[in-house]
Amino acid sequence: FQRPILLQGHERSITQIKYNREGDLIFSVAKDTVVNAWYSANGERLGTYNGHTGAVWCVDVDWDTKHVLTGSADNSCRLWDCQTGKQLALLKTSSAVRTCGFDFSGNIIMFSTDKQMGYQCFLHYFDLRDPAQIEDNEPYIKVPCSESKITSAVWGPLGEFVIAGHENGEINQFSAKSGEIIKTVKEHSKQINDIQTSIDLTMVITASKDNTAKLFDSYTLDHIKTFRTERPVNSAAVSPVMDHVVMGGGQEAMEVTTTSTRIGKFEARFFHAAFEEEFGRVKGHFGPINCVAFHPDGKSYSSGGEDGYVRIHYFDPQYFEFEIES
Amino acid sequence: ELLGDLLKEKPQEADGIDSVVVVDNVPQVGAERLEKLKNVIHKIFSKFGKITNEFYPEGEGKTKGYIFLEYSCPAHALEAVKNADGYKLDKQHTFRVNIFTDFDKYMNISDEWETPEKQPFKDFGNLRHWLEDADCRDQYSVIFESGERTGIFANDAKEPIVVEERARWTETYVRWSPRGTYLATFHQRGIALWGGEKFKQIQRFSHQGVQLIDFSPCERYLVTFSPLMDTKDDPQAIIIWDVLTGQKKRGFHCESSAHWPIFKWSHDGKFFARMTQDTLSIYETPSMGLLDKKSLKISGIKDFSWSPGDNIIAFWVPEDKDIPARVTLMQLPSRQEIRVRNLFNVVDCKLHWQKNGDYLCVKVDRTPKGTQGMVTNFEIFRMREKQVPVDVVEMKEGIIAFAWEPNGSKFAVLHGESPRINSSFYHVKNNGKIELIKTFDKQQANSIFWSPQGQFLVLAGLRSMNGALAFVDTSDCTMMNIAEHYMASDVEWDPTGRYVVTSVSWWSHKVDNAFWLWTFQGRLLQKNNKDRFCQLLWRPRPPTLLDVEQIKLIKKDLKKYSKIFEQKDRLSQSKASKELVDRRRTMIEEYHAYRENAQKIYQEQRVLRLDLRGGVDTDELDSNVEDWEEETIEFFVNEEIIPLGEQA
Repeated sequence: FQRPILLQGHERSITQIKYNREGDLIFSVAKDTVVNAWYSANGERLGTYNGHTGAVWCVDVDWDTKHVLTGSADNSCRLWDCQTGKQLALLKTSSAVRTCGFDFSGNIIMFSTDKQMGYQCFLHYFDLRDPAQIEDNEPYIKVPCSESKITSAVWGPLGEFVIAGHENGEINQFSAKSGEIIKTVKEHSKQINDIQTSIDLTMVITASKDNTAKLFDSYTLDHIKTFRTERPVNSAAVSPVMDHVVMGGGQEAMEVTTTSTRIGKFEARFFHAAFEEEFGRVKGHFGPINCVAFHPDGKSYSSGGEDGYVRIHYFDPQYFEFEIES
Repeated sequence: ELLGDLLKEKPQEADGIDSVVVVDNVPQVGAERLEKLKNVIHKIFSKFGKITNEFYPEGEGKTKGYIFLEYSCPAHALEAVKNADGYKLDKQHTFRVNIFTDFDKYMNISDEWETPEKQPFKDFGNLRHWLEDADCRDQYSVIFESGERTGIFANDAKEPIVVEERARWTETYVRWSPRGTYLATFHQRGIALWGGEKFKQIQRFSHQGVQLIDFSPCERYLVTFSPLMDTKDDPQAIIIWDVLTGQKKRGFHCESSAHWPIFKWSHDGKFFARMTQDTLSIYETPSMGLLDKKSLKISGIKDFSWSPGDNIIAFWVPEDKDIPARVTLMQLPSRQEIRVRNLFNVVDCKLHWQKNGDYLCVKVDRTPKGTQGMVTNFEIFRMREKQVPVDVVEMKEGIIAFAWEPNGSKFAVLHGESPRINSSFYHVKNNGKIELIKTFDKQQANSIFWSPQGQFLVLAGLRSMNGALAFVDTSDCTMMNIAEHYMASDVEWDPTGRYVVTSVSWWSHKVDNAFWLWTFQGRLLQKNNKDRFCQLLWRPRPPTLLDVEQIKLIKKDLKKYSKIFEQKDRLSQSKASKELVDRRRTMIEEYHAYRENAQKIYQEQRVLRLDLRGGVDTDELDSNVEDWEEETIEFFVNEEIIPLGEQA
């Protein structure tokens, strides 16, 4: 039995965590402007990527673990060399960068900017193979979202489109070629806080302020499953090996003061993906959980909290043998 | 339309007589008081309509004692008869009001008997229908969606069964009548009572702005309070209604509703009483008049309470100069004082009756002579013994809660001061002693909830104590289970004492609103989340129809019955399990079918994936092992310093 590994590298709440494809590294970003990279095996810190001057909202790493992408409230999206930590590109924006990501090939990046100070929300696409785009800060497509801003987004299975979640609970597929909306669904009634893909990219799971997480097919956006809780869900992830999903959440900032006396009682919740039933909880965080992620081998998972900690939990053998049949 | 109204008011020859009422039992007064009498009569009777004419016959210098009043239309005259007949002007004069033409009618009644017309029967069905549930499920009401929806559920250990659910059934909250027959809902215009199998509306009571209600224990009377209705001449703040007929029986003033119910009922509904400054007023039913036509003057009376088992009132008065404070037990209707107990240096008293009236506990807070601090005593009155002996239990710490065991002779106390709170259990024994059975320290509790059948109780730390729960069996004072319902605001036992519900009300906490069902032993059965859940109330049961002998017989044969029940439970369990297993099997088959299909598409796209990643196969974590390098890294794990022994 391995105890949870605690990563203490941030002084303010964690905003996102990401494993690289092989799972040996975890990247964490937070409101303290710090971008950290860690070895997931023992929690040792590999290094930091220095440059952002505002809260960092999002992070992604390409399939080959060569590049790291971050987006920040300092109105920039930055590209980094993973190994050396050197900043390779700085893309200035008019408002905070909320979500970002590499496509399947690692050649195209997307990021969205917030609706702020008179600027509306935009979805940007850059092709890294064309240096001019980076040098001139000219995305090959810039899609305006006048209706409801994008709050979280991931790439589709083969880089054909981006699946975006919006403030009003809508999900849209934006073509990576034309920027057009290919498909729309509205199954959530409130803001989508997080979208993550299953490991084979065939499904996406959405975490919403409406107290539910939902599973959708990446191509058809068919609504497959719903997982219900009594609190807003901040993040959700699909297990790469079991029919499980993990969810982390919290509550309105106003109520944090009444419940924060419960030391270490904020829990990550595990649901059976087919039965939509909760079967387990893991305590440990001192505040709401903002981000969850499974290790690509499915043998562990990580959570990042409002408390500034990232916790890596390894599953004991019973987790894999657990049968929900009564 | 105006013309029509005017025409209606026009006095017509024939109608003139139909609008006249005769009022009998009017005080006989001389000329000097006549004006005053006319004003009083006018004030009372002009409520029903415009009085167009009045006639006060006189004889021998005084009015005769009956008068004639004419209204502008017959409808008003009828109102006057309906509402003023029986009006008690004062001790000697109760008005009798009749339509003038009735005299004619009654004089001319034929000698032939005519059967009266049949009233259509309002069938509400079996008002006790819920007691006939084959599985003995008790019902409870739930208000949720912050008051928008009210539901009635039957309690099943597996999950609540919906009996009835309505939107906007009540505007604020609901109340059950004491024997469970009626559900009362609150509305701006008044109260509605619902019942029977389908919860039809049985009765309506019009009381604008009603805020509080109370039932008599027998369910015959309903008391309603509204702050809006009171006028100096016409007391309407508190109204007592006859439940079955819907009639208003009597109205009262009310200065403050702070200590509701203002009127306390005797256990059999024969009397109700209230306390005002230095006065105890006891009324009898069904007349609604003062017992012996006068209130009791009790100087300084602070509080009173009916025995739940007999028509005895306990009340206490504080110290008055040389006279010590005292508690008095008074028998009604005789008003005989059957016990008086003097108390010295009293700061405050609280009266706690045991559920059957077997014992009365008076909690006395005293400041003993010569000290500054306050101590508390429990004065235990043994009501069933001759001359009501009193035993005293001294408490060394401040009291947080006290509760008698229903149907038993134990009581539980929470004492001390947060965070050092203790729970103690006492037994009032037959031999005159009161034994402390057990004390638990370091309790997280501020409330005691006994099972309505006795023996078991829940110690709860509600609200600020975060919902700590302790389930205790007082037969040997063991903790059966310690649990928690975080931020619980209420604890409710079902009427049979089998189940406990703990709940987090939206009225006190805005998240995690839910009610949880536990067994009496503290085993959690259900967690029911309900959007903006506000209140759960169990439906009370009427007293059992079985007599003591029959209950003894059933208890004797309990083993036989439990076998049958267990078998039934097992059958329904396996049925539920089977349903659940079937449902799960369907869900997983469908899910896997979907995944298989997705996998198929995934395989078909393999070529595209290889292409996007320059030929590198990343479909599995170990797809491209050939590319892997083996590297040995040493991690620092632990350091151990072993001191070598000193060289000799």
